[in-house]
Amino acid sequence: MTARHQCLVIGYGNPLRHDDGAGVKVAQTIEALNLPGVKVITRHQLVPELAVPISESKAVIFVDADPTAIAGPELRPIEASASAFGQIMAHAANPNSLLALARELFGRHPEAWSLAIPVEDFSFGVGLSERSNEGLSAAVRLFREFVAGSRHS
Amino acid sequence: MSQRVLINPVTRIEGHAKISIFLDDDGKVSDAEFHVTEFRGFEKFCEGRPLAEMPGITPRICGICPVSHLLVSAKAGDAILAVNIPSAAEKLRRLMNLAQIIQSHALSFFHLSAPDFLLGWDTAPAQRNIFGLAAANPDVARAGIRLRQFGQEVIEILGGKKIHPAWCVPGGVRSPLTPEGRDAIRAWLPEACSTTHLALKIFKRMLQGRELETEVFGNFPSLFMGLVSPDGAWEHYGGKLRFKDSNGKIVADQLEPQKYFEYINEAVQNSSYLKSPYFKSLGIHGGMYRVGPLARLNVCDHIGVPQADVELKHFKSMRHGAVTSSFLYHYARLIEILAGVEFIERYMGDEELLSHDLRADADINNLRGIGVGEAPRGTLFHDYTVDRNGILKRVNLIIATGQNNLAMNQTVAQIARHYVKGPKIPEPMLNRIEHGIRCFDPCLSCSTHAIGQMPLHVQLIAPGGEVVGETTRG
Repeated sequence: MTARHQCLVIGYGNPLRHDDGAGVKVAQTIEALNLPGVKVITRHQLVPELAVPISESKAVIFVDADPTAIAGPELRPIEASASAFGQIMAHAANPNSLLALARELFGRHPEAWSLAIPVEDFSFGVGLSERSNEGLSAAVRLFREFVAGSRHS
Repeated sequence: MSQRVLINPVTRIEGHAKISIFLDDDGKVSDAEFHVTEFRGFEKFCEGRPLAEMPGITPRICGICPVSHLLVSAKAGDAILAVNIPSAAEKLRRLMNLAQIIQSHALSFFHLSAPDFLLGWDTAPAQRNIFGLAAANPDVARAGIRLRQFGQEVIEILGGKKIHPAWCVPGGVRSPLTPEGRDAIRAWLPEACSTTHLALKIFKRMLQGRELETEVFGNFPSLFMGLVSPDGAWEHYGGKLRFKDSNGKIVADQLEPQKYFEYINEAVQNSSYLKSPYFKSLGIHGGMYRVGPLARLNVCDHIGVPQADVELKHFKSMRHGAVTSSFLYHYARLIEILAGVEFIERYMGDEELLSHDLRADADINNLRGIGVGEAPRGTLFHDYTVDRNGILKRVNLIIATGQNNLAMNQTVAQIARHYVKGPKIPEPMLNRIEHGIRCFDPCLSCSTHAIGQMPLHVQLIAPGGEVVGETTRG
């Protein structure tokens, strides 16, 4: 399998702020599954050089803690947007701007989704809340269904 | 009527800040202040934590230079344990710091600053960014992204992750370089070297049309401070401190970094969370000093690797005495990237980096320990006092951006003097003041432990506090 056929999972957040680390935890759980063709990257924050592996992937899923995921984990398609450049102008980036950067620099960006994990506690400390832990299991199931569906499509 | 121009906030630097420009009765710029308006208080909440946690906590100050805090925190821990770490551990720490300097400088040059001077200061902010650079010169933008990726990859190979690695500990490091890691680093080196030379060529060509910027972007006499080895060579991890003045004269040399409090004072301004360190014996007005790449190249006699030494010679020929223009921080950054690549290449031939003798163990043997090293933005001090159980009783952190605070004020004032000719705020001035600050690549998250980013807000304020003009951007 070439790099261009990988599904790239990028989990990001701060594990020292309880549920803010949910994206990282989900990504680590996915990594432990050793699914063929799935590459996992975890980061404290999104950084511009992630545009390189993004441009080399067939699909990318950004996994992050998200207070708007009320009913449970959600897989949402996302688009490239250079108008989100404000983030990338400093020392961090967001998924939309990274997709745009991959397109500008390397001529392409893959289809992309955000995997939003329910959260309730962003206070200082390690470990996920009960709500995020439940979201974690559901998010991994959702991801596995997504990968299986992709392979059949 | 005297007035104050307020720029709030400033963009494309790390943290929250604003700028005040004071006008005299004739409408001329009399002074300027760079205010940092956020506070995080790491020094205070580290009190009560165990010493062993500090290399894990302090890197959280910053997502850009966590390695600097990690290494210097571990060095403070070494001092408290009273150990000499194994030779292989020191080399591995040096290797990681070089990678840190490369990735941070690459970010500063290619992502944050190059859009200004390659696309032009007066290009609309919507285009004057990495996307604009990618559209205008995709090869340069792509190479810059990959150069930063190289530095990050070296950090990840050593520490297991790019940001906040927990690999360095008091007494040494946790793991060696593996043969596979060495092969991966070696494979990157030709591209990293080639990209750095490309950037040097572009910058030097661009400089030929930027005489005005070189003259007014923070070009003034000051002291410069940095670590040097016993023979005066460029240092980034060990060595002792040297101060030079703008005539190139060594003012103080081989100062013990652990006794910084004997020659550095930290002044406090009511209007900013950023402290203003200065060279004690000359007072706050005469003792202003700059740190970081420009200072390190000014204070050292040579670097110690051939290609960077050729560039250093050219750098030092740009002015008799010290190079005083803050605009040339950019050039100094590129020379340090080149030095980093060359030193890393040299380390790849050193078998000791594969050694497993990496850690000295000891209990608490000193109640105070001070770690000092060169972060990408300048000299970094971690000063810890502990009790017999290794619990932190007092923490003092002196960060590069704070040490450049007085010089940043003067840079803003100098640029404003050139562009402000009356009570109105000219648009070109805003762009150039932003860049003047950006020359220092300030990291306010580190220096005040603030987090975030900055849009732009300018106010004209009369002596009584009345706002007589205002502009906002971003």
